Amino acid sequence: MIESARSEATKIEAGQPLIQISDLTKVFYTDEIETHALSGIHLSIAKGEYVAMSGPSGCGKSTLLSIIGLLDTPTAGRYSLNGKTVENLDFAERSRIRNQEIGFIFQSFNLIGDLTVYENVELPLTYRQRMPAADRKARVMEALERVGMAHRVRHYPSQLSGGQQQRVAVARALGGKPSILLADEPTGNLDSRNGEAVMELLQELHREGATICMVTHDPRFAKHAQREVHLFDGKVVAEEELKKLLAETSA
Amino acid sequence: MNGLLQDFRYAVRQLRKSPGFAAVAIITLALGIGANTAIFSLLDQALLRSLPVKDVDRLVILNYSGSNTGRLQSRADGHFYFSYPMYRDLHDRNSVFSGMIATDFTQVGVQWHNQPDLVGAELVSGNYFDVLGLQPAAGRLFVTADDVVADANPVVVLSFSYWQRRFGSDPGILNQSVLVNGHPFTVVGVAPPGFHSVVMGDTPDVFVPMMMKAEVIPGSMDLEDRRSSWLNIVGKLKPGLSREQAEAGVGPLWSAIRSDELKEIKGGSENFRDRFVNKSQLFVLDGARGFSPLRSDVQMPLLIVMGMVGLVALMACANVGSLLLVRGAGRIREMSVRYALGAKQKRVIQQLLVEGLLLGLAGGLFGMLLAPRVSSVLITMIWGGGTGDLPFSAKPDLRIMLFNCGLALLASLLFSLAPALQFWRPDLAPALKQQGMTARSGPLRFRRISVAVQIGLSLVLLVGAGLFVRTLHNLRSVNAGFATDHLLTFGVDPRMAGYEPDRTFALYQRMFETLRGLPGVRAVAATNDPELANDNETGNVTISGYADKPDENMQVEQPNVSVDYFSTMQMPLLAGRVFTDQDSAGSQKVAIVNESFARHYFGDPQQALGHFVANGGGKGVKPDIVIVGVVKDAKHVSLREPVTRTVFFPYLQSPELHAMTFYVRTWQQPESAESTIRRAMQTLDANLVLDTFRTMDEQIDNNLTAERVIALLASGFGVLAALMAAVGLYGVLAYSTTQRTSEIGIRMALGATRGSVVRMVMFEVLWLAGISIAIALPVSLLLMSAVRSQLYGISSSDPLTLGLTIVVVTLVAIASAMLPARRASRVEPMKALRYE
Ligand SMILES: Nc1ncnc2c1ncn2[C@@H]1O[C@H](COP(=O)(O)OP(=O)(O)O)[C@@H](O)[C@H]1O
Ligand SMILES: [Mg+2]
Repeated sequence: MIESARSEATKIEAGQPLIQISDLTKVFYTDEIETHALSGIHLSIAKGEYVAMSGPSGCGKSTLLSIIGLLDTPTAGRYSLNGKTVENLDFAERSRIRNQEIGFIFQSFNLIGDLTVYENVELPLTYRQRMPAADRKARVMEALERVGMAHRVRHYPSQLSGGQQQRVAVARALGGKPSILLADEPTGNLDSRNGEAVMELLQELHREGATICMVTHDPRFAKHAQREVHLFDGKVVAEEELKKLLAETSA
Repeated sequence: MNGLLQDFRYAVRQLRKSPGFAAVAIITLALGIGANTAIFSLLDQALLRSLPVKDVDRLVILNYSGSNTGRLQSRADGHFYFSYPMYRDLHDRNSVFSGMIATDFTQVGVQWHNQPDLVGAELVSGNYFDVLGLQPAAGRLFVTADDVVADANPVVVLSFSYWQRRFGSDPGILNQSVLVNGHPFTVVGVAPPGFHSVVMGDTPDVFVPMMMKAEVIPGSMDLEDRRSSWLNIVGKLKPGLSREQAEAGVGPLWSAIRSDELKEIKGGSENFRDRFVNKSQLFVLDGARGFSPLRSDVQMPLLIVMGMVGLVALMACANVGSLLLVRGAGRIREMSVRYALGAKQKRVIQQLLVEGLLLGLAGGLFGMLLAPRVSSVLITMIWGGGTGDLPFSAKPDLRIMLFNCGLALLASLLFSLAPALQFWRPDLAPALKQQGMTARSGPLRFRRISVAVQIGLSLVLLVGAGLFVRTLHNLRSVNAGFATDHLLTFGVDPRMAGYEPDRTFALYQRMFETLRGLPGVRAVAATNDPELANDNETGNVTISGYADKPDENMQVEQPNVSVDYFSTMQMPLLAGRVFTDQDSAGSQKVAIVNESFARHYFGDPQQALGHFVANGGGKGVKPDIVIVGVVKDAKHVSLREPVTRTVFFPYLQSPELHAMTFYVRTWQQPESAESTIRRAMQTLDANLVLDTFRTMDEQIDNNLTAERVIALLASGFGVLAALMAAVGLYGVLAYSTTQRTSEIGIRMALGATRGSVVRMVMFEVLWLAGISIAIALPVSLLLMSAVRSQLYGISSSDPLTLGLTIVVVTLVAIASAMLPARRASRVEPMKALRYE
């Protein structure tokens, strides 16, 4: 799996931006209140990069991640993924790209309780058209082995520990061989030991060639990444500037 | 106790907080209770309730087996009737009955203060009231002496309701004279209130001694005719005697009576003699509930309706149950908080029960209000249009009502308990711990089962509706064999206005002339044996040159008709000629037979011409009536019954004249001719009593009442059931998709398209519907084959109806899934996955 992921990744030369976002804004309208969650974001992530996104609560990290993951659409701005403009795609097309290019890892794991470990990992593959069952099975087992959960295929999520659940969630994200893994505070619901383990897993995946964009507010984990992006109030800011701004707000 | 009151107040507040839920639950329960009570009350009156008379357990009905060769007048119910000499012999010579009464029902014209009135009359033996142990409401009832000598005692007893209705309960009417069919009769008394007749379902307005039959049924001279069967016998067993003992005891007497009868049948083979006497048996049947041609008429329809109501009630329970279950599931949090605050299990459950109780009570209350309305609608639907009292009361039976309310209470208590069981051992930790991570669907299973039951029941009801509607349609489109449109019919019996037979003939001639002269009238005809009137009157024939096989049934219809009958009715002539004015009293006697008759006895219509026939059977009969024509077959008794072999005679050559039914073929809408005809007849003779006017289409509709009611109710209940199932299914899906919002969000994040989410919901629906249909289909096949006899022209497993019903049920399921599926597909993955 690692081999093939790398070969797919190398289709685009390393260093070429996988994600290119420019002047992106997102406004939420609720009950006559406008929330400017993102305003004028410029961001590019290269193939094979490991980016950590940090910033105070409510600054727009999750919003940005879900736009990158095509779960949401920007209010304005441009976004190209793998060289393809994706900000104005319809729901079905976004579903397709999400399924093929994106691997999600959530803070609360978001496994489906009625499905077994195996079925949870298989789920995104079932949304692909014309994937032979044998291939599917091979991919699922490959992914589960990669995260060390192959011995728990018949278990239900409720029968696993939090750390194990999150590893299954990682396997689910890997199974589809996505261009990028998006992780929104993947350690948020884990104790520190399990948190470390998941972080290590991500680092290994990165070393094997995966592109990762991870939201975290934990500076220790942010240091694992190659690059840190700081968000403040819906804008990307430099680290020094963030410190200054944080000092101002706390003052 | 204090807690209970508090719970009660809280329950009221809870129900008022969700008025939609409360309304649906209460309406559903009320419908179930109301319809059930109404139907059971009718069923009880028609099938179960005993006559309001003394020693009712000792009453028996007599019936017999063996062939009947004489004149037979029956109500098309398969019951054997007796002749008066038979009754007299049985009555005088038996040793097992302490009393035995004879009865027959007819219509008479009663005239009082120059006001003619057509009423029902029961012709009874003199001991009738005595044997039944009834006391008069006024005056006196009949005694044996009233009924000894033919035509000697013109006395009449009024029914209680006729006395109220017509005479304002005036005791002054006693010993006064009224005209019955033109003959003066003295009113001697009034029957007790609440008593209608020993014949269940009959509601005579007057009672007349049997010996007055010639006056009451003009033209009938058969009181002493052993071979004319027309009356029913109800016996009263001697105390301590069982029906079996009575049957055995009366056996020899019965054989003797049959032998006497056989003596009057000239001819017949040895074999026939043996069968006529030795193989014939007299049966003594339970009579506590009265002899009832009506009962056998309505038994099956009522049972079917009851079955439908039962299914609907079951659905109502399932529906209310699943409603209560959702509510319960939606209140887990509330219950959890109660537990957390230290509430005891008992209190939490008590509170749920109080709510269930409240719902059940409200449903029961509305159901009670509904029941009499449903009853009266049903009664008028089935028996409306007749004269006099309706045979059944719309007042619901208290016991049945209480029983149904109890049932509804029990059901709602039980179902309100079901969610309580979910909290029996509250384990709150997992729900809190796993919040947002997993959505398990445990409590859904209850609801799925309840919905599956509802889908299944609605399939059963819809299959029934389909089959009954098509039965009705098939019957309606049966070719009657004559033109039923633009045809107005009414009956007249001139002897009710005091006409003697010799003047009757002239009256009919004048009526024909007058009617033909009226504007808008195309043709006029008359018969003494009305078409499609659900009664048959057959008699034996003898055919010259036809060697009847031993014991061959030679019973045929023998209507006497007017000259223009076939052209007016538009019954096509197949061979020979129709009647003409030359076929009069003095000339060669002629007959026209129908196709079935011709084919059966002669093989071919043409062959029948020129043969001679005679009414009556036996050696002495000389066939002297020549067959001059053959007409095409037409339905006679009803659209359902097969065609009977028929010989038509010109009424001008008939030895005795009967009451006639007139048919007027009109140019315009036949209804509009009624007033013109009534006025014209009034001018002809103001005393003439004209029987109810009906168009032939109305007559047919009337004929099909049971079928119509069943088809109507079955469709109504079928639609109701489908609606309930749809609501139930919608509820389950709406609930389950809301429960699964986050799951759907996850799936979408992983690449599920809207289409695949819709498919997911639809799959759940189709799976549920498929399983329910698979289970319900054999059940409905079984139920439908049990009511086969009520179907016409369609098999109980008609594939088209079944297929169509399956399609309809599936479509209903899909339709009710549409909204939840749409809602599920609109889930915003972002919102579904958001957590704070
Ligand atoms: N669906 C939404 N509707 C309205 N406001 C939203 C929505 N999603 C996010 N927001 C607002 O946008 C801002 C950014 O939210 P988010 O991206 O979740 O922040 P965080 O950086 O903590 O992940 C917040 O002020 C939040 O309240
Ligand atoms: Mg966030």
